[in-house]
Amino acid sequence: MRVRLSLVLTVVVALGVGATVIAQEGGGPRKTPIAGCPPVSRDFWPCAKAKAAAFRPARNPDGTPNMNGAWNPATANGSQNIEDFPGDAFLNPQITLIVDPSDGKVPYLPQWANKRQDNWDHYIDPLGTCYLTGVPRQVFAPRGIQIIQTPNMFAFVGEFAHQYRTIPTDTSPHIGDSIRLFMGDARGHWEGNTLVVDTTNLTDRTWLTISGHFHSDALRVTERFTLVDADTILYETTLTDPKVYRQPWTMAMPLVRFEKGHEVWEEPCFESDHDLPYLLREHKLWIGLTPPK
Amino acid sequence: MTADLQVRLYDRFGKLTAAVVALLLAATLPASAQTPTAARGGLPRMWDGKPDLNGVWQALTTANVDLQDHSARLGVPAGQGVVEGNEIPYQAWALTKRQENFKNRATADPEEKCFLLGVPRTMYAPFPFQIIHSPGYIAVFSEYAHTTRSIFMNSEHPPGPIEWFMGDSRGRWEDDTLVVDVKYFTDQTWLDRAGNFHSEDLHVVERYTMTTPDHIQYEATLEDPKVFTRPWKISLMLYRRKEQNVRVLEYECYAYAEQEAARRGELGPK
Repeated sequence: MRVRLSLVLTVVVALGVGATVIAQEGGGPRKTPIAGCPPVSRDFWPCAKAKAAAFRPARNPDGTPNMNGAWNPATANGSQNIEDFPGDAFLNPQITLIVDPSDGKVPYLPQWANKRQDNWDHYIDPLGTCYLTGVPRQVFAPRGIQIIQTPNMFAFVGEFAHQYRTIPTDTSPHIGDSIRLFMGDARGHWEGNTLVVDTTNLTDRTWLTISGHFHSDALRVTERFTLVDADTILYETTLTDPKVYRQPWTMAMPLVRFEKGHEVWEEPCFESDHDLPYLLREHKLWIGLTPPK
Repeated sequence: MTADLQVRLYDRFGKLTAAVVALLLAATLPASAQTPTAARGGLPRMWDGKPDLNGVWQALTTANVDLQDHSARLGVPAGQGVVEGNEIPYQAWALTKRQENFKNRATADPEEKCFLLGVPRTMYAPFPFQIIHSPGYIAVFSEYAHTTRSIFMNSEHPPGPIEWFMGDSRGRWEDDTLVVDVKYFTDQTWLDRAGNFHSEDLHVVERYTMTTPDHIQYEATLEDPKVFTRPWKISLMLYRRKEQNVRVLEYECYAYAEQEAARRGELGPK
């Protein structure tokens, strides 16, 4: 898989925004502390949880913690990788975002042990063709998200390929099981100061990283958003997929508030995409873990 | 300003302080700013007193097929236009171009390529859209190709020129009407399937006026000195989708098109 970031970054640089994110996407693992905690996920996680327990967040008029604003997944490297990775000619070094299991690796079932490498070698990352990121990848995809809260809705605008996601915070049932969506069907509820999101109805057409981490259509995702301080969210996500993983597994990472005045803008990805023919010379389109007949 | 101040007070000092300040302000403000959350005028309202536009909406016109009056043709129902006076004031060269577009519409319409539809077309395309309305920021999410519009409130356009499919939207309230100023477009979008078009100099001013809890009167004034001889206006109704389980789903048309081609073996290394 070859990366499309060049095109995307050219656009952003031309617009004169996002310099902070580019610096972090292009560099190695971040070393400076975030919210007074070490930035590496395995250390950030317990530290941020302890701080969040003592933090009293600003609130919206309906009483929910106020997370409105633009947020940067500062340690996620634009979703290039989620496991420990030394870096190579194509992808940046990464320290694992996985906090459970403790070896920091995605717990694939034995029959899928070589599939990620096969994906990297033979398929185009679905983001490379401007498809929707899926869940949870939108949260840690390139260039961050805008969070918008209304009394019954928690919504994201992602800058990458103008993607949105809506999370009703009500008790309505999930949609019918036969309806499958790139971004799934989400429901949120508050547990204290934490927004807990349950997402179902996903497809097997999305990946988790540029490096080819994957899931099936049995994926179910639980996410937890908690303010650690005024400018930091602890983001935790647990992926359950009995067709592909031995056990549920969890990533944890900080979302850092962009500087004041940062606006998430339009990136017309597919509309300005001219490199598919080149990508297709050596790689195949990803049409699902179990492609439709 | 009142609403902004209340938000900041809320953030900083919590509910009680905001309520006390709101009471103090109420004594000095006109009635129109005084009744947050009450159903003034029979409309649902945000806590800052503005009409609450949150919900799933959809236009029910044939405007996406043709903005103007048109007879039925194969695959197209007859329709009454949404253009004031029914005339789009093209410059002479542009009228010729529009007629050319009409002839080539089966392939040349950007909707056929699954491109973003632009503004105002997204608002009357035959897909539901969700308005996410918070005081400082309003988002519009359409089911068509995950179209996202951000309407930044009470702020200035950034320095241009910039070419965006959806333009740059800056909103403000005039009494109970949301007024959105949109500029910085590409010339890559059309206004309908009939070949009506514009240049990158398009400037749109939209007005959203909620007339009942389930209706928004939508108006848009279009000016484009490269293409039209004068500004012109469209007007149509947006209806609230009332189904209990209504939800904006997905129509990822280019993904489906490419994946069909891949299944047929037409894409990818041999």
